[in-house]
Amino acid sequence: MKHTFRLSESRPDARRDVADEIRFHLEMRAQELIEQGMSKEEAFREARRHFGDVAAIEAECRDERLARTRERGRREWWRGFAMDLRYAVRSLRTNVGFTLAGVLTLGLGIGAAAAVFTVVDGVLLRPLPYADPSHLSMVWIYSSSAQGGFEIPLSTGLYVEARDAVKGFSTMAAFRSSPFVLSGESNAEPEQIAGARTEPALFGALGVRPVLGRTFTPDEAEPGGPRVVLISYSLWQRRFGGARDVIGRMVTLSSERYSIIGVMPRGFGFPRGAELPPGLQFGTRTDVWAPLAFSEQDRRSYGTMNLSAIARLAPTVTPAAAQAELDAFATRRFKELGIPAGRLAYTIVNLEDQAGRTVRRGLLVLVGAVGFVLLIACTNVANLLIARTGAREREFAVRAALGAGRIRIVRQLVTENIVLALGGAVVGVAIAIWGSRVMLSLVPGSLPRADDVAVDARVVGFTCAVAVVAGIAFGIASALHISGRSVAATLQSGGTRLTGNARQRFGRRLIVAAEVALSVVLLVGAGLLAGSFARLQRVTPGFDPRGVLTGNVVLPVGAQFDPARDGPAWRRFFDEFTARLDALPGVVDAGAVSSLPLSGAVESGNFSIEGRPRPAVGESPNAEYSVVSGDYFAAMGIRLLSGRKFDSRDRSDGPGVVIVNRELARRHFPGTSPIGQRLRTGFDFSNGASPREIIGVVENVKQTSLDGETNPAAYVPITQMPYPSMSIVVRAKCGSGGTQCDPAANLPAMRRELARLDPALALSDARPLSSVFADSIARQRFSMAVLAVFAALALLLALVGLYGVIALSVGQRRREIGVRMALGAQPRDVLSLVLGEGMRVTLLGVAIGLAGALALTRVLRSLLFDVSTTDPRFFAGAAILVAIVSLAATYVPARRALGVDATSALRDA
Amino acid sequence: MAGSDLFTGTLDILILKALTWGPRHGYAIGRWIRDTTEDVLAVQEGALYPALHRLERRGVISEEWGETDTGRQAKYYTLTAAGRAQLRSESARWTAFSRAVTRALAVTAA
Repeated sequence: MKHTFRLSESRPDARRDVADEIRFHLEMRAQELIEQGMSKEEAFREARRHFGDVAAIEAECRDERLARTRERGRREWWRGFAMDLRYAVRSLRTNVGFTLAGVLTLGLGIGAAAAVFTVVDGVLLRPLPYADPSHLSMVWIYSSSAQGGFEIPLSTGLYVEARDAVKGFSTMAAFRSSPFVLSGESNAEPEQIAGARTEPALFGALGVRPVLGRTFTPDEAEPGGPRVVLISYSLWQRRFGGARDVIGRMVTLSSERYSIIGVMPRGFGFPRGAELPPGLQFGTRTDVWAPLAFSEQDRRSYGTMNLSAIARLAPTVTPAAAQAELDAFATRRFKELGIPAGRLAYTIVNLEDQAGRTVRRGLLVLVGAVGFVLLIACTNVANLLIARTGAREREFAVRAALGAGRIRIVRQLVTENIVLALGGAVVGVAIAIWGSRVMLSLVPGSLPRADDVAVDARVVGFTCAVAVVAGIAFGIASALHISGRSVAATLQSGGTRLTGNARQRFGRRLIVAAEVALSVVLLVGAGLLAGSFARLQRVTPGFDPRGVLTGNVVLPVGAQFDPARDGPAWRRFFDEFTARLDALPGVVDAGAVSSLPLSGAVESGNFSIEGRPRPAVGESPNAEYSVVSGDYFAAMGIRLLSGRKFDSRDRSDGPGVVIVNRELARRHFPGTSPIGQRLRTGFDFSNGASPREIIGVVENVKQTSLDGETNPAAYVPITQMPYPSMSIVVRAKCGSGGTQCDPAANLPAMRRELARLDPALALSDARPLSSVFADSIARQRFSMAVLAVFAALALLLALVGLYGVIALSVGQRRREIGVRMALGAQPRDVLSLVLGEGMRVTLLGVAIGLAGALALTRVLRSLLFDVSTTDPRFFAGAAILVAIVSLAATYVPARRALGVDATSALRDA
Repeated sequence: MAGSDLFTGTLDILILKALTWGPRHGYAIGRWIRDTTEDVLAVQEGALYPALHRLERRGVISEEWGETDTGRQAKYYTLTAAGRAQLRSESARWTAFSRAVTRALAVTAA
């Protein structure tokens, strides 16, 4: 249907319209009756009688009419909107350069923000995928000493007693890591699988039900109970093809037959390693769950701290109340157990805090940084739009003269900007999807809750909301910009040169100065993180990762960890395996260790020194300990400082021996040689109480992290302390000149030897030691890389903004420049005029930016290693970089100013 | 309100039909219906107006204030293209319907 141009609606007032119409009817009807011979009064009465209830009919008509007016208004609005939309698209299409610049700038800003939002949302904001997660807490033992306090797992005794005593928890469940080797069904390779042994209550506490089958019964968690397992959804899909009849099937896990009783729901993988403290050796996500059984002996064990525990608070109990109840219990019980007051305590940590706390600060810094980038992108686009609106003043003046109201023009501008912003949002969502994937790939396995990160409807909604808000703000801002001028003045002046008075120009420069300032802050931040990262990489780890391959081998332990029974087999296996690897032609040295440095594994225990007064209970010194096999030190490149390494003399029935690190020697034997001294080691589970003689001192090794402290460490041979789970370390033979040290070259041979020794075993997590090293600083690399990208983006956007403003200014001052040149100004003068303008803006921005950085970089303190937050080198570097880049951005328009031809500039003007 | 003896939609058809000869105001439409149906469909005259407003809202008729021959202000209704189309289809339906009912009532034995 064709819409004709109508000046006005018939009658806007519904009440009058209806009343007039009905009055006309009654009068005409009365007239008719009068003509038939009735008196006037009688005729009017009769007309009303024929008509019916006048008031009711009037009301009905009025309602109908009001509804119609509303309906038409809405339709009119949509029609206008469609018109605006068509107009907006046409107007954006006529200026492709502008549109592209706007869409890309906004897209980058919005995309970066949405990518960060996606990651932060998954890691920190979204509730954990368990029922009512705010009531879930981890329970740890807090161990305080002179060096500070830290959280450690519970011993079975401490756990069971707390579980039975504390009423504030509705459920409490213990679990511990238990890696399994899944042996090949249908000739598939044996595979190392992240497993956990858990109490049956765990699943109830988390509020998850299996999608198939059932979870454990209490009977199954008794010593000697049936061997049953639950498997994860992904394992079910991967190894069993999602078969419905998997329930009741038998699988071989670490050489024992288990029957599958249930499949957990998709995505469930608790415990996931990255959300619990490192060192507990949980896999990235757990794939197999087996019942955790406590023997009578376990229940009386207070020294072996190997249990993690999760608790669900009873509905009305606050965390503080539960903590108080635990404290009261500990005070009473620890005294009976002879644990000195103040040394140990129970502590509860909300599960969500536990998951997020290692990365919270780093992610919040990224949120701040991406906020800056978004701000710069928006100001850039605002600047672009203001300049363009200025150039279109004549167009708007003409439209106003033709009768378009102020509101109508504002609406047009807002529509146009929303279209532009939505274009930016589309680019933004694409960048967010790609960007969040890249961000996750920077931190494989070490970002808590990485499984929960995904671009979903909420992220897309967030992006569009940002775009629409930005569009409305831009539209109103540019409308305000033009509406101050009178139509007549604009039309008179021709509207071609009026691209800004002095005040507008000043405002635009101030905006660019702010952009420069924001990018200086980001650059300083990124510089500090990069500097810190460089230092971290230069830290000597105490070993030489070049050419070394590692991989884990876990021997079947069974339901009961029993070194006395299984020890000899473990010892024989690892000694044999490392000896065979050592004999390979491509291998120089091969060994094995229970806790590979920087892999997250660490175990520590007490010791005392023979011949010195016994320290009070709980005051004895602590050392990290590792069990080693083969020539571990040579394979790792750990230097022997004095004494000797382990050799064939150190037999299982021989005198106990130990090698210590330089730090232990420095702390406990200052100024003397520790060789020949004897230690009583509390962590020894096979050697009883007989002391060990120190036979060697080796260089310090960074065990937990490159930026961590160096702790005393002790090494014992596997012959004297059998251990079932070892990391194999193999150093490749290098060609002449240190080339061809490809560690991976030994992998096939390593697998072959393992299969020869025991075909049911799997080599897991095989990777070069250099990547263990790199992964240990993946989070730092992540923060640094992302911040560096944001800083570069900010600098680029600020550069574009600066360029735009100077180029516009040169265009506006063409006439002035022409006059100057006509009056004898040299190119040098013109150049310095333009460059000066750019530099004034830049220097203002740099000054504000440096001040801002000084105030803001302190939030980075906890993320930095060995770099001061106020290190002047980084501040100076950022300032100089910005100055150089700005100079380059100003130089291009300045050159163009030189090309101004004096006569033509004057004539055109 | 509309008389109870009016079949649903009858009034609408009659209004549309009344407008086929050109624009008319409400009174004239009512008069035409009274005259042509010989008061068989005794309608309360007021019921016409809600029907007119409803039809106008649906866009089958349009309205415009204008002057009568005697120089008085009155609201004139005109059939729109949509109204013409609706009248055509409604008349066909009505004829089929009334013919069917007539036939049924003419049957004398089951």
